[in-house]
Amino acid sequence: METKIGVFLCNCGGAIKNIDFDAAVKKVAKFPGVTCVNLSSDLCLEEGKKKMISCIKEENIERVVVAACSPEFQEHIFRKVLEKAGLNDHLLSMANIREQCSWTHDGDVTEKAVELVKMAVNRVRLLQPMEKKELPVNREVLVVGGGFSASNTVLQLSRVGLRTTLLEKEAVLGAGTEELESFYGFDTGSMISAVEVDKNIEVLTSAQMTEVGGKIGDFSVRIRQEGGEILRKYGAIVLATGHQTELALDSEPQLRAEDEAISGLNIVSQEQFCCMLGNSGLETEPKTIGFMFDFSDENSRFTTLATLNNALAAKKKWGSEIYVFCKNVKVDSEGMEKLYREARDCGVVFLKSEAPPRITAENGRVKIEAKDVFLGEDVILACDVLVAEELYLPAEGAENLSYLLSIRRDSKGFFQDENVHLYPVGSEKKGIFFIGGCRGDLDLGRVLTDISSVVMKVHELLSSGKILVELERVKADPQKCVACLTCIRVCPHGAIQLVRVDGSKEVAEISDLACDACGICAAICPAKAIKFQGYRDEEILAQIEAIQEL
Amino acid sequence: MNGCIVAFCCEHSAYPAADLAGKLRLHYPENIRVIRVPCAGRVDVIHILKALEKGAAAVLVLGCEDGACHHITGNTRAKERVKYCNMLLKEVQIDGRPVAMFNLSPNAPHKFVRAVNEVTKIIKESGR
Amino acid sequence: MESKNVLVVGSGISGVASALELANAGVSVYLIEKEAVIGGHSASLCCKATDICSKCSACVVSDKIKEAVIHPQITLLTNSTIKGLGGELGNLHVEIIQQPRYVDEERCIACGLCTEVCPTDPKAIYPPFAEATPFSYILDEGLCLRFKGERCDLCQGSCPTKAIEFELKPKERELNVGAIIVATGFDVFDAREKGSLGYGRYPNVLTGLDLEQIFTREGYLRLPTNGKEPRNIAFIQCVGSRDEGHGYCSQVCCKYAMKLAGLINYQNPDTQVTIFYIDLQTAGKGFAQFYEKYKESVRFVRGVPVEILQTISGELEVRFEDISQGKVCRDNFDLVVLSVGISPGKNSWDLARILGINLADDGFFDIKHPLSSNETNIDGVFVAGTCQGPKDIPDSIAHGIAAASKAIQVLAESASQGRGN
Repeated sequence: METKIGVFLCNCGGAIKNIDFDAAVKKVAKFPGVTCVNLSSDLCLEEGKKKMISCIKEENIERVVVAACSPEFQEHIFRKVLEKAGLNDHLLSMANIREQCSWTHDGDVTEKAVELVKMAVNRVRLLQPMEKKELPVNREVLVVGGGFSASNTVLQLSRVGLRTTLLEKEAVLGAGTEELESFYGFDTGSMISAVEVDKNIEVLTSAQMTEVGGKIGDFSVRIRQEGGEILRKYGAIVLATGHQTELALDSEPQLRAEDEAISGLNIVSQEQFCCMLGNSGLETEPKTIGFMFDFSDENSRFTTLATLNNALAAKKKWGSEIYVFCKNVKVDSEGMEKLYREARDCGVVFLKSEAPPRITAENGRVKIEAKDVFLGEDVILACDVLVAEELYLPAEGAENLSYLLSIRRDSKGFFQDENVHLYPVGSEKKGIFFIGGCRGDLDLGRVLTDISSVVMKVHELLSSGKILVELERVKADPQKCVACLTCIRVCPHGAIQLVRVDGSKEVAEISDLACDACGICAAICPAKAIKFQGYRDEEILAQIEAIQEL
Repeated sequence: MNGCIVAFCCEHSAYPAADLAGKLRLHYPENIRVIRVPCAGRVDVIHILKALEKGAAAVLVLGCEDGACHHITGNTRAKERVKYCNMLLKEVQIDGRPVAMFNLSPNAPHKFVRAVNEVTKIIKESGR
Repeated sequence: MESKNVLVVGSGISGVASALELANAGVSVYLIEKEAVIGGHSASLCCKATDICSKCSACVVSDKIKEAVIHPQITLLTNSTIKGLGGELGNLHVEIIQQPRYVDEERCIACGLCTEVCPTDPKAIYPPFAEATPFSYILDEGLCLRFKGERCDLCQGSCPTKAIEFELKPKERELNVGAIIVATGFDVFDAREKGSLGYGRYPNVLTGLDLEQIFTREGYLRLPTNGKEPRNIAFIQCVGSRDEGHGYCSQVCCKYAMKLAGLINYQNPDTQVTIFYIDLQTAGKGFAQFYEKYKESVRFVRGVPVEILQTISGELEVRFEDISQGKVCRDNFDLVVLSVGISPGKNSWDLARILGINLADDGFFDIKHPLSSNETNIDGVFVAGTCQGPKDIPDSIAHGIAAASKAIQVLAESASQGRGN
């Protein structure tokens, strides 16, 4: 017996003038399966919706087509109407006869409107009801890293009631916080103590992940520690592995550490300079200091911050002459312009040049030559210490981690693909997040925001212990699946796994939790085994069938 | 209907762009039928070929801009499939009817209109 | 009884991001907006993709706004501002005043019949701009005959859904909330303040925002004066940033200028774009790739011009110091785009006074201490987005999400401490 389809047309208050609705209603009533055709002028308003519900109930309608404005803003409203009328809310298809028909074409568009309705009728005839269900998820979170970002994340997660494991590959926590301490007076010690006493936080040091499987709500992680391996389960994973810096001196091969003239303290990193500043036992205070940044790496927010803070500190402590060589000062972070002005007001001299300066050794001092843009001339500086340019790089092990988790990195090797829809802290896989320096050149303000953002995202996902999903929205038919692994390889969200059914056969299983309903797998399956409810082959082809070609 | 274009529009980009074109009352030819898909990557070669078999004068797949696909790789896959389709059609010598991919954002209604107008012009010029 | 609701003030991208996060976490959110449409400044930004996405995130804004409008946990109150605040942490009482809209956004179906019959010119009742949400018509009191004392109710008579109501007064309501997130956004620097740059006097001097709106609504760039395609365009950076009145970098201008330049060149490879800058802000995820590709086709000149004059032929003469030659030069352009910066919102003063939150020296809302990201001096009141300082779209979204996390923590703490009565 044919399913009873009800078609509801709306003329948008009578404003749609280029569709002959009477003619349209007559044509639509003849479509196979259509038992009821209704014309309204206000379907989206309360009165219109009420009439729709009574019509559905009275006429025992089983499937609904709404021909009106765009589904973009109204589909969810009409789905609720179906629910109230006692129908499964998926048995609805909409025909966009306003924004994509009446409003964009001149002249009479009745024919097109009728065809659009036919397309929707053909599709709705095939739609299957869908159920929603809450699936349980693991509420524990794994945070990889042990520095500022990772530690603050676990502390905040604890405050919202989530238990975490802090996984640090070194033997102690707190790596990479020296600059934060000297720039902001941050107290690493008390942060570590807070982490260690928190009952919701488990700290594993000298520990690394060796294998990761599963999906959001159910990740299985193998962790190797001194003494053995453990297997753990987590609902979400946050990577906060930070960054590393490397001196960008490869243009001057003679300036390697072996060169006697420049071994020792003449050419240092920002971190080493910080130590010099803090070293009360320093033999001689440098009288002339040079800084360099922004020639080899556009991502120099962090180095700008470090340079400004260190230059100011050196000025105040030693009263040295300080010259900064750079191309552009990166001030697009909070407070940076202020700091830049403060440095200049204190007498720090900024020399801007387009090409990187040439660096040589002369009489035990470092000689820097650059063409200053404003003077239009070469400037030569002999200094006691050069704080060299640093490249901002992803932390060691980033490649390995991305391989373990099968997640993409950006063109510079930092975590998180550059796709704008993933920002701020997401990855293409639900339940895996990145924060802080491991995803790019961030300043303190942005790092703090990352931390709170990921806490919110994780809390949203896991705090109730269950996630509402549409059951079997996309499903691989175990009878047809030949386990060719194609869908597993192409799924951008890592939502498909191979599982054993009936004791022997291996088939692809699509996780309702991790699936993001794109349909790439359904299109690529060579055996046509994957059914994507609402967008199955038959549902798409039925729409094409409805188009009358001559 | 003569010279019909079947356009598979991704719900994240082309479909809202077409809606926005409607709100702006931008006009384009009537001979286009839009099929909404969750991602351009859902469109299979069989869908394109069926549309041509039914007599479509052109088939378009419209998805997100390169690098901005909500599903990361969907638009790239669609592009490859469109290329493959064109290759198949050339091999069996049924080429001449455009099968093309366009990339746009949801707030780029003019790009949608431009695509439809461009393809309609090609159809008219080839006399279908 | 401690409140489980949160109030988000301002429906720009940051407020919307906050509201969405809270709503998705099961919290009831009141999202108030002083204008009739939501989305703030970023809702009218254009897509700047060339053959690849340029990561400007303008499309992310439209997605989020749509999500917010249809979300069942979010109650949207447009035309609304805060009048007063009382109560205590965990149970804040906020007085809201809602200006009459005259066109009920719940009943307006955007059919357009009212505009057809409206007798004034320009029309007193009109559709919002195309990308506006909610997409309900707007009645302009300033143009409407009825509000000038005349008897006219043509629009009301033509409305098929009876959405138009004239006899409306501002409505007051009181909301009980557990936390407040202030996301009131920014004001665009008024380029008229830099009179020598000619904005407002010369039609072919535009701001970056003007350019974005042209691309969204027209799709192509044409000169305002004669409708021809510009061949020679200048972008001037740091207009209203990094100067005496604004001791900060607006963070967005270098990127939007370069991305607009990329879009212009993609549409017309013959157009020459020149960017006058102080320091090029090219840091940030995903930008280096873009910069590498476009830096060869754009002419970069270090040094920001201070004067623009219109020649007899209608071209714009820009006087600048060519630093590499060490002298003052003049170049002619068809179009000059001023990359205007992000200024603190003018309403910030009032809101700061009502809520008791501090403003920082630069006029933006102040955060409690450098290691907090959203906390203000008042417990339970947080800031999100550009009202706290310049940010680009991804950072505004992140800041909004971070504020949501702080708000949720306050709700959790209030619940566990059984605060309020």
